[in-house]
Amino acid sequence: MSLRMFICFISLLTAQAAWGEGALKDVEIDHSPAALRRGAATVTSVCLPCHSLKYLHYRDLLKLGFSPEEVTGLSMGNKPEAALLALMPPDIGEQTYGRVPPDLSLMAKAREGGPHYTYSLLTGFYQDKTGETNNHLYPSIRMPDILGWSSADAAQRAVLETQANEATAFLVWAADPRAAERKRLGYYTIAYLVLLTGLLYLIKRKVWARLG
Amino acid sequence: MAQRLIAWIDQRFPLTSFIKRELTDYLTPRNLSYWWNFGFLAGFLLMLQIISGVFLAMHYKPDVNLAFDSVQHIMREVNYGWLIRYLHSTGASAFFVVVYIHMARTLYYGSYRAPRELMWWSGQVLLILLMASAFMGYLLPWGQMSYWGAQVITSLFGATPLIGDEIVLWLRGDFVVGDATLNRFFALHYLVPFFIVGMVIIHLVALHHVKSSNPSGINLADKDNIPFHPYFTAKDLFGLGVFLIIFCGFVFFAPEFFIEAANNIPANPLQTPPHIVPEWYFLPFYTILRAIPDTLGGVVAMGLSILIFAAMPFLDRSRIPGGARFRPFYRAMFYIFMVDVAVLAYVGSQPPGGLTFKIGVAATVIYFAAFLTLPFLSRWEERWLRARGLPPALQALLDSETEPKPRREAR
Repeated sequence: MSLRMFICFISLLTAQAAWGEGALKDVEIDHSPAALRRGAATVTSVCLPCHSLKYLHYRDLLKLGFSPEEVTGLSMGNKPEAALLALMPPDIGEQTYGRVPPDLSLMAKAREGGPHYTYSLLTGFYQDKTGETNNHLYPSIRMPDILGWSSADAAQRAVLETQANEATAFLVWAADPRAAERKRLGYYTIAYLVLLTGLLYLIKRKVWARLG
Repeated sequence: MAQRLIAWIDQRFPLTSFIKRELTDYLTPRNLSYWWNFGFLAGFLLMLQIISGVFLAMHYKPDVNLAFDSVQHIMREVNYGWLIRYLHSTGASAFFVVVYIHMARTLYYGSYRAPRELMWWSGQVLLILLMASAFMGYLLPWGQMSYWGAQVITSLFGATPLIGDEIVLWLRGDFVVGDATLNRFFALHYLVPFFIVGMVIIHLVALHHVKSSNPSGINLADKDNIPFHPYFTAKDLFGLGVFLIIFCGFVFFAPEFFIEAANNIPANPLQTPPHIVPEWYFLPFYTILRAIPDTLGGVVAMGLSILIFAAMPFLDRSRIPGGARFRPFYRAMFYIFMVDVAVLAYVGSQPPGGLTFKIGVAATVIYFAAFLTLPFLSRWEERWLRARGLPPALQALLDSETEPKPRREAR
């Protein structure tokens, strides 16, 4: 078997691994800077009352293009160096919901399906026959329908979809704030390696040509 | 000046003669294909893992209350910490990819046969050390999968007759995986790579004594051997470039590809994840473990499935050179075995269930049958090949080379 055939075979296998996650809504997440800032505003006002994002600090929000004044507004009296902790103390959260609401710093990559999970959860609430709120993705979830999805009409849902999308985009950023830097460095690295490997190939050809 | 310095060193240390003997005069078969590149790549990855690991250890804290946070500290606050950590986590998977290809090449071309048994066995020890290091390293991020993977694997030792519980307690240093376990795994994860380096040196000393095998499977005449440097340094470096392009593709654009989602949740001893899976490189062996209903039997089968490779020089009784290339039945068996390992890996990634369990059992039977039928198949195949006359390609090759003789010994 040639190396080329082998590489084709391996890429087929890895393509196969991308299957699955049927129950999740497969939406395109809008990662534009404006969407990220709106998502940050949504998360700090809607999620942060109960959930923490303890690996983020308010000053990190400056990297999203917020002005220092806007960050001060979002931080609700906290210092810029402060971590994004839940407004509700953990023991109150535990009393209210039976467990401390999970930290959201890594939520966008801590579930199978990644951002699609977050989005599908936020837009997965419905009212069952008894009028109780439940969730398609996470049955008998203790989290309330915070966006009001289950009681919204079609026009309202269009707005909420955007809101859930932007909040998800922010959580993706929060889970890996270095992603943009990483990809930028990646392009340079790969370009350099392609050039280097091309030169190494020429050297190899030249050296082996001596053998005749 | 430089010459005088080298002369000064040579008087006290065999520098020039070493380089001559091991690089510029070290004879290597010129027909080596790119499949012979993977040993060099494994050596490169060993260095990458040690260097990135040392830098990670400067920022990591082996404490159940701090470990998960310290990894996030590395990812977010440390300068290029994300790069060091992703190089290390992707490097672990790449190491196994490269080593498994290296092993498959050895099996295909029959490189394990005399006089290279000690190379094969030192490689077997390297594989086990690599697995131990990877297993202990996987606990360190202290995520859910880290914790429960270690919990499951260490509990397997409880299947040992009579003293099982004591062994598990001794391994963990506690009744469950906890702070004591994390600390000792960190210490051992830092130690084992140096054993690997030592074993690699033995592997290389053996290699330079018996010389490389080659695709033809017979020792080539001197005219077909070329110095390692510059020919194979150039070829290996080009191969390294190709490897790095693929590797960096993962590091920079899909670094979480090899990281389970559940490992981004801090370890929680009170909550078992719905589906505990080991890292992909352990999946075939994990299936063999689960295929046998009895725990002790499963553990023994899993151990044997890794150790049985060492028996290859005894199991393969054919004297036809050239590995699978000139041996149609061995070749067929090689491909069946490769597919079988892929099936085992797939079954291992699935939750235990009726049909997948049965497929896993069948694949386990085929796995061991491949080894255990080899002595008979290889003998019968040799008789069959000789009765039909050797393949013309092989006959031509044997004619064009001088009689296989012990290779010129440089030392």
